[in-house]
Amino acid sequence: MSITVPATVAGSRPAGALATAVHLAPLFARRRDGDRLATALPVAAFGVVTALLLVVLGGAQAFFQWDDELASTYATLAVIAVVLLLVPLATVGASAARLAARRRDERLASLRLLGATTGTITALTVLEAAVTALLGAVLGVVLYAVLAPLVGLLHFRGEALGAQMWVPWWWLPLAVLGVALLAAASAVVGLRAVVVTPLGVRTRQRPGTAHWVRVVIAVGVLVVGLGLMQVLGVLGEMGGIVAIVGTLAAIFGGMLLALDALGPWFVRVRARRQARKAQTVPRLLAARMVLEDPKVAWRQVSGVAMTSFVGVFGAVGLAMADMTSTEGMDPDERWLMQDISTGVLVTVAVSFLMVACSVGINQAASTLDRAAVHVSLDRLGVPRAVMAEASRRAVMSALWMVAGGSALCAAVLLFPLVGMAIFIQPVAIVTALAVFALGFLAVRGAAALSARLVPGILARPERAL
Amino acid sequence: MTPLLSARGLTMQYPGGVTPALDAVDLDIGAGESVAIMGASGSGKTTLLHCLAGILRPTAGLVSFASVQGPVRVESLDDGERSRLRREELGFVFQQGLLLDELTALENVAVARMLAGVPRGQAEAEAAQWLQHLGLAGLEQRRLGELSGGQAQRVAIARAQVTGARLIFADEPTGALDSATSVEVLDLLLAATQQGRTLVVVTHDADVARRCARTVVLRDGRVVSDTAAPAAAASAAEVSR
Repeated sequence: MSITVPATVAGSRPAGALATAVHLAPLFARRRDGDRLATALPVAAFGVVTALLLVVLGGAQAFFQWDDELASTYATLAVIAVVLLLVPLATVGASAARLAARRRDERLASLRLLGATTGTITALTVLEAAVTALLGAVLGVVLYAVLAPLVGLLHFRGEALGAQMWVPWWWLPLAVLGVALLAAASAVVGLRAVVVTPLGVRTRQRPGTAHWVRVVIAVGVLVVGLGLMQVLGVLGEMGGIVAIVGTLAAIFGGMLLALDALGPWFVRVRARRQARKAQTVPRLLAARMVLEDPKVAWRQVSGVAMTSFVGVFGAVGLAMADMTSTEGMDPDERWLMQDISTGVLVTVAVSFLMVACSVGINQAASTLDRAAVHVSLDRLGVPRAVMAEASRRAVMSALWMVAGGSALCAAVLLFPLVGMAIFIQPVAIVTALAVFALGFLAVRGAAALSARLVPGILARPERAL
Repeated sequence: MTPLLSARGLTMQYPGGVTPALDAVDLDIGAGESVAIMGASGSGKTTLLHCLAGILRPTAGLVSFASVQGPVRVESLDDGERSRLRREELGFVFQQGLLLDELTALENVAVARMLAGVPRGQAEAEAAQWLQHLGLAGLEQRRLGELSGGQAQRVAIARAQVTGARLIFADEPTGALDSATSVEVLDLLLAATQQGRTLVVVTHDADVARRCARTVVLRDGRVVSDTAAPAAAASAAEVSR
């Protein structure tokens, strides 16, 4: 029997990295049945990101459509709200990108073994991430079309936002393209953190351990912020409302940077203490999971830092607005006071919604990444409830610390006003606390939802090992 | 003598599989025995171990285990009951150890006791004793990444025994180790049988099988030989090739 040996392609010129990646991408798009969820989740995540982005932009641009004397005040407030929502939105985006990147490792290593160049690997990774994001973003536009009329029911200046929620049509392709580009950039950044070798993928360095120097920097920023708060009145006399809003924005920004510097260090210190004192397996596992990379644990819930910080400002703002007598004000000024209250609550609520999305996506990625650990624990007889509790605790313990720490920072800044608000306008404070409680429940629900992936993993354990 | 573990007509058909991974396997394992399960890749060794240990539920057949609480039919237990059985009465040493990267060596062992409701202090004291017994004194606070392959397997052996498990399942426990370390790890596993424990080890390695009291050889999901070592190991090695 003769065997026909396929002709070799000796002498053929190697294709370019991008061309090779384009040829390979369809092959890699074919996933096994069990991976459908892994493919669908990042698409859904990018969909949520795009929809939220468009809703926020739609809401903000609605505030730029007035041209009377209060227009600039509304515009300034809208910009502040958008700035405040950018961080949690960025967190959701980063979570989606991380989810898209999960378990790509072994396939990249196999390609390396076959001789693929770094260029091909990079191009393939970027292409995959961009296509996933593109699909998700298109889905997000549809979701925006559903959400916009609902958000349009909110009343500002005595009228529903209504059709003003719709962004100009040409913003839509820009948003889709922007999300895809961000996903591609995120994929490149992710690749820079690992070395893809024919034998596997290893990280370039150990996860950051969150240095104490961060604390010194953060305390410095806090002191400067406190100083600026003391001279806010003087600045207001010199530069009017613009100076006050500008200074407040600078203080906000500084505080958020300080929180970001401080957060991972605090998370690490607290988790170490919890690991030492843990008396049950879920508590021990949760603390150790956080210690594995405190920066990641922080990043997952850092959106809440912003929300809690803003929430305290908002609660005090609500109380102050309620205390202010509206007698003698013209109707526009009355609407402004009421609209500030609505705006603060909406911003806090949307922020929590974004954090809940971020936690849900992150936990889903983490659950899938830790599939082998779940299988191991199951084989050792660890009850599924214990696994779920450990994952939930890892998120919630960081969340409590982040929310508490941030709220405390804001309370320190606004100390006399907070005290006054609690005694004079407890209803406003209770309203804000209720929004916080609902936010916590939403995050907890998102964390619990991702635990539902575990039974699927355990049903086909051979895929995880 | 009543066997500690017994399988009758054990059959396992994976969804979408053309042929059964296990085909009517009968097997009795007595208390204190050391049994090597050998066979070529795809012969059904690991599937057999998983069915015997209650990790997988067989398509047909039965698995009886003489639990401390009386005989149990492993295949008929629900997920929670099988988890309890694995947690409280069985020990596992797999090729990758099934250890948790984020925990220290001490915590990895202590977790097995904490799951049984033992206070952490006591669990860690017991874990430390086992680690010391297995030559890991001074390494208790090291994370898995800071241990060699042999040391990590010792941690897994400590964890398998700290609960007082009477039956230890090992799946290629020396598969990722050099020959000298393999001998050490096997010594420790076999030492457990001297203390009355039973050892079931899935292996490709004829040297490992040779040191067990009995070798069961599988081919295409069926038991093709079941003989006392060491003579069996030599012929089993042929089958495995």
